[in-house]
Amino acid sequence: MINFDYVKVSSSKSAIDALNKDASSMFIAGGTNLVDLMKRGVESPEKLIDITNLPLKNIEEDNGVIRIGALALNSVVAEDKLIMEKLPLLSLALKAGASPQLRNMATTGGNMLQRTRCPYFYDTTMPCNKRQPGTGCGALHGYNRMHAIFGASVSCIAVHPSDMCVALAALDATVIVNSNKGERKIHFTDFHRLPGNTPEKDNNLQKGELITAVEVPINDSLAKNSLYIKVRDRASYAFALVSVAAALDMDGHTIKDARLAMGGVAHKPWRLTSAENFLKGKSATEANFKQAATIAMKDAKVYGQNNFKLKMAPNTIVQTLKTVSGLS
Amino acid sequence: MDSLKTIKNSFFPLGSPHTVPSPLEKGLGIRPPLPLDRVTGKAVVTGTAKYATEHELDNITYGVLVGSNIANGKIQAMDTKAAERAPGVLAVVTYLNSPKVPNYDYDAGGNPVKGPTGGKGLQIFDGPYIYFNGQPIALVIADTFERATYAASLVKTQYEKGKPETDFSDAGKTVKALEGDRYKDYIRGDADAYKNGPVKIEAEYLLPNEVHNPMELHAITAMWNGDSKVTVYDKTQGVESTQRSIMNAFKLKEEDVQVYAPFVGGGFGSALRTWPHEIAALLGAKKTGRPIKLVLTRPQMFYMVGYRPYTLQRIGLSATADGKLTGISHQSDSITSMYEEFNERSVNVSRIMYACPNVMTQYRVYPFNVSTPTWMRGPGEATGAYALESALDELSYALNMDPLQLRLVNYAETNPDTGKPYSSKFLKEAYQLAADKIGWKDRNPKPGSIKDGDWMIGYGMATGVFGAHRGTAKALARFLVDGTLVIQSSVSDSGPGTATAMVKIAADVFGMSPEKINFELGDSSMPPGPTQGGSSTTATLGSAVHDVCESLKGKMADLAKENSVFHTTEIHNVKLEDLSFENGYMVLAADKSRKILLTDLLKDNNLKQVEVTVESSPNDKMKDYVAYSYSAHFVKVAVHALNGMVRIKQVAIGGDAGKIISLKTAESQMIGGAVGGIGMALMEEGAIDNRYGRWMNNNLADYHVPIQADVPHIDALFVNKPDYLLNPIGAKGMGEIALIGFAAAVANAVYNATGKRVRELPITPDKLI
Amino acid sequence: MLEEKNDQPDKKAVLHTARRNFLKQSSLLTALAMAPPSLIKAADKNLDEKFSKYFEQQSLKLEINGVDHELSVEPRVTLLDLLREQLHFTGTKKGCDYGQCGACTVHVDGKRFLSCLSLAIMQNGKKVTTIEGLADGDKLHPMQEAFIKHDGFQCGYCTPGQIMSAVACVREGHADSDDNIREYMSGNICRCGAYPNIVDAIKEVKEKGGTI
Repeated sequence: MINFDYVKVSSSKSAIDALNKDASSMFIAGGTNLVDLMKRGVESPEKLIDITNLPLKNIEEDNGVIRIGALALNSVVAEDKLIMEKLPLLSLALKAGASPQLRNMATTGGNMLQRTRCPYFYDTTMPCNKRQPGTGCGALHGYNRMHAIFGASVSCIAVHPSDMCVALAALDATVIVNSNKGERKIHFTDFHRLPGNTPEKDNNLQKGELITAVEVPINDSLAKNSLYIKVRDRASYAFALVSVAAALDMDGHTIKDARLAMGGVAHKPWRLTSAENFLKGKSATEANFKQAATIAMKDAKVYGQNNFKLKMAPNTIVQTLKTVSGLS
Repeated sequence: MDSLKTIKNSFFPLGSPHTVPSPLEKGLGIRPPLPLDRVTGKAVVTGTAKYATEHELDNITYGVLVGSNIANGKIQAMDTKAAERAPGVLAVVTYLNSPKVPNYDYDAGGNPVKGPTGGKGLQIFDGPYIYFNGQPIALVIADTFERATYAASLVKTQYEKGKPETDFSDAGKTVKALEGDRYKDYIRGDADAYKNGPVKIEAEYLLPNEVHNPMELHAITAMWNGDSKVTVYDKTQGVESTQRSIMNAFKLKEEDVQVYAPFVGGGFGSALRTWPHEIAALLGAKKTGRPIKLVLTRPQMFYMVGYRPYTLQRIGLSATADGKLTGISHQSDSITSMYEEFNERSVNVSRIMYACPNVMTQYRVYPFNVSTPTWMRGPGEATGAYALESALDELSYALNMDPLQLRLVNYAETNPDTGKPYSSKFLKEAYQLAADKIGWKDRNPKPGSIKDGDWMIGYGMATGVFGAHRGTAKALARFLVDGTLVIQSSVSDSGPGTATAMVKIAADVFGMSPEKINFELGDSSMPPGPTQGGSSTTATLGSAVHDVCESLKGKMADLAKENSVFHTTEIHNVKLEDLSFENGYMVLAADKSRKILLTDLLKDNNLKQVEVTVESSPNDKMKDYVAYSYSAHFVKVAVHALNGMVRIKQVAIGGDAGKIISLKTAESQMIGGAVGGIGMALMEEGAIDNRYGRWMNNNLADYHVPIQADVPHIDALFVNKPDYLLNPIGAKGMGEIALIGFAAAVANAVYNATGKRVRELPITPDKLI
Repeated sequence: MLEEKNDQPDKKAVLHTARRNFLKQSSLLTALAMAPPSLIKAADKNLDEKFSKYFEQQSLKLEINGVDHELSVEPRVTLLDLLREQLHFTGTKKGCDYGQCGACTVHVDGKRFLSCLSLAIMQNGKKVTTIEGLADGDKLHPMQEAFIKHDGFQCGYCTPGQIMSAVACVREGHADSDDNIREYMSGNICRCGAYPNIVDAIKEVKEKGGTI
């Protein structure tokens, strides 16, 4: 790891000022991904701006919206009474991620900004357009069983590794960011981006911006039937092969409204809007769930070792819907 | 199927096996703890146990290795200037400036045409040639870990690149097998019999590279005292073998090479030999004249300290309609490095597991641009048993026969290879213990027939076998006037609990409390103990400890010869056989009121201590016998019908490991083997990108080993019958059988659950949807 | 360390620039060129060390196992390496260095943390408890006792991390069922496979109750 300069700030303004002053500086909070990346030589900031003292840790309800501070810890959010009651899907997704120790360190904002776990990105001797634009995508014809089936490009087939973000995408969250131009709101599904020709950019955060909070609308009907299922190579502490976040607003056996998103399948948390639309007004039957899964899989593209996701993804959608609707 | 009832009547003539009372009854909540805690317990749980780089030394330096970025070729140029100029850097060692290793053959090192040679490890810094990706090419030494790590990133290397060959499917096609007498086919009876039996199966099984990944990173602290004396604190399973390796490499005298390994954080085979990084540390310490700590990174553990090699196996089995094996064929293709031949004979298990007149085995090894593989728990037997025991299961379904019964029908009463009798064999009892525990007789043999919601439930079983060996070892026993007994051996303990077992043996022989016995180990200046491997430590060293304690008793009896307390009308010169040792006393067996405290005996003789050292070797009688340990693995699994995830629901293992010396540590070792087997069966696979010859999942997030949530309750049950032919303590071995066969039991259970036969490990969810 | 409020702006700016330039180049020659003459004169013997202190290190206060430590570290030093290499608290183990195994688990302000992914400088002012600080003198912590009793380890290398995690698991209220214990202990890898015994040890401590 290079040696770097370190400063600790105590307000959003001074954080943003410090960041703007120095092109090679980065914010650090939980550090669970950044320190890892610095150890591997993937990131080499010359200065770290420690934002852990900023007053961005609260979780509050206001006018039908829950506002989660960017520095609220994953473990705190997961076990927060308000979150467990009003946003159980988020709690479940958080608990499916990482390990208790990592969740004690990782923050809400940091979780959103974590980088892909693609091995070509981590191994600095390997080609990777995300780490070093122009070197090619090592995974495209390589070791790609963990990789994307939606929205990838020849430049990059990496996936976003977060569980939390899959739930937030399903829950119609909004990201609040601050900069010296003031506050800006980004719809959660617009926060992360697809790789296209510029896979080095994971998201639409602009230079000089600081995530301050995530806002999630409360929907008690959806909250009643929510579930996060994560399929992985071992029972815990592993990244998703595929994961599904689902919330259904049920009237008896009829689905009034649906929220569906997937993880482990794209460069961003993958919202399944057309499948949701299909389910609205339908009854909760296995046939309908299978149909929804088929719709969700339209445009899927595989790269060899991840071909199994063509079956695992729809199966997991069906499994999640069956379970969340009480069908099984 | 009511087969088990039949089996019990016809195949278990010995009645109820003598078992250790099982403390593992279900439904009791917490299992009651077993007697004799691990003697290392307090040091471990308080964090005071010192591992390889935790010994404080003045003037310490930190070494970080740089690995090559290519898998095949030659270094054209190395630029180490930036690294050398970086703060805190003391030296950058490469092949261009390394001190020489006296026993290296520098000409051979630069000559890859010579091909792999047995037992010749990578000669570090011997020249510009690159044989595998990640090959260590530079050692950066600085005054802090951070500075060394950073400077290592500044070493720049240019290569003349060759095409890497790591595509193992090229074995036998573009890559030719190594040749030699070692690879002669084994034929017993008719080699082709397996093709012609009334019922037959043929199948191919693939085991990928697996990496040991002990929790302690491989590491060494090394220092020179002058030009001819070396001290190392090393992560090694063989203190003596490390000492010898260093002596040989640097042409040093035995008394000038001191090796310490008081605690070893796991090994599973990876610490059985001396690796290039250990030599590198000594070269680095020589270069700077200061002690050095060198710790491999987790990714470097995939490149530099071996792995279980990829093996593709073809099994052919034939049997009569009632299940008698008429032919076995076992062919195995495995891999090694370009510079060293590695050989683990994974086919041998098929020669000795079952009674069968016709057996053919063929073993081939192919060189690739990888580092040399090494023994990993269960070594070749684990690889071979995975294939053989999977094939047996396939045959049982082809025969419509209970898989357990198939094994009993072909039970070997003498060694099928040599005809020699077993010194002991209680595999039937082991089967019964585990089968009863898991409820084998209640299972539904029809695949895919038990469902629990979306989960499919299945049962599987398999057998494990490993040779029980006893080697030669020395041990020292010293009784002190304060009443403590000290036992010494240079052996190291990478986890099984050797010290605990030895204390138990000494306590039994000496009739004294374990609390008063100290077992000292991990120090090459102590009497030479065995390398901890091949499931032979307890049998070998335990015998030495037994013998040395007996010998010390004899010496103490000599001291008591004239003692008036033992003078009776019949006895004047008391002898050892007249005496017993009980609770710290020497007692006259014929009249227990006549006794003397051992400490008083020393005081009477004006002695501070009595000491003996004894060498203990295998007995001649074993020439007429063969000895093996056996395991019977029974597993219940659940497989999710939609997402393919496999959960191990229950495990029962029956073990025939001779006498169980220390029940608590023995049980733990068996459970640990099962956990390793869960990894082998369900998740472990080292993946290489053949375009670069580089391991793509070289860390613990991407190379999955079992975690707490993967592991259910495990019953480890022991037949616990001593084998006194093998050695005086009656112990066989356990480390390997705990794992051997386990993966097959899981694969067989998955088949029973789903009707799907996965013949490529690991059985990850993608293979079951 | 550079607390924005406390440092005098001028002095801070000068030092800051020198440090930044040095860190960029990271070579002894640069240091020689940029260092104030007094530093070089005073430091003919341990030049490297003096430069490091001047250019690279920042001050840090930590309470470790109840004892205050005033330290000076490079910002890149992790809490794990600080504990092991500078303070010789080698009970905390390095098993992967990337947050993938749990061997380095310590408590920071009472919560279980991975010390390998924690920069030491970021823990300024916090309380750190390591395995060495768990026992009360000679009296072992109940979790340490239970690990011995139930043989919750073999090689012992993951054990300090397991025990620190286990104590936290009980304190967090996650030791209420076998399945929960398994899930909430899944961040600690044990390659020897002592998992079932670890579950037994935790259950015993949990069922005994009391403050741990």
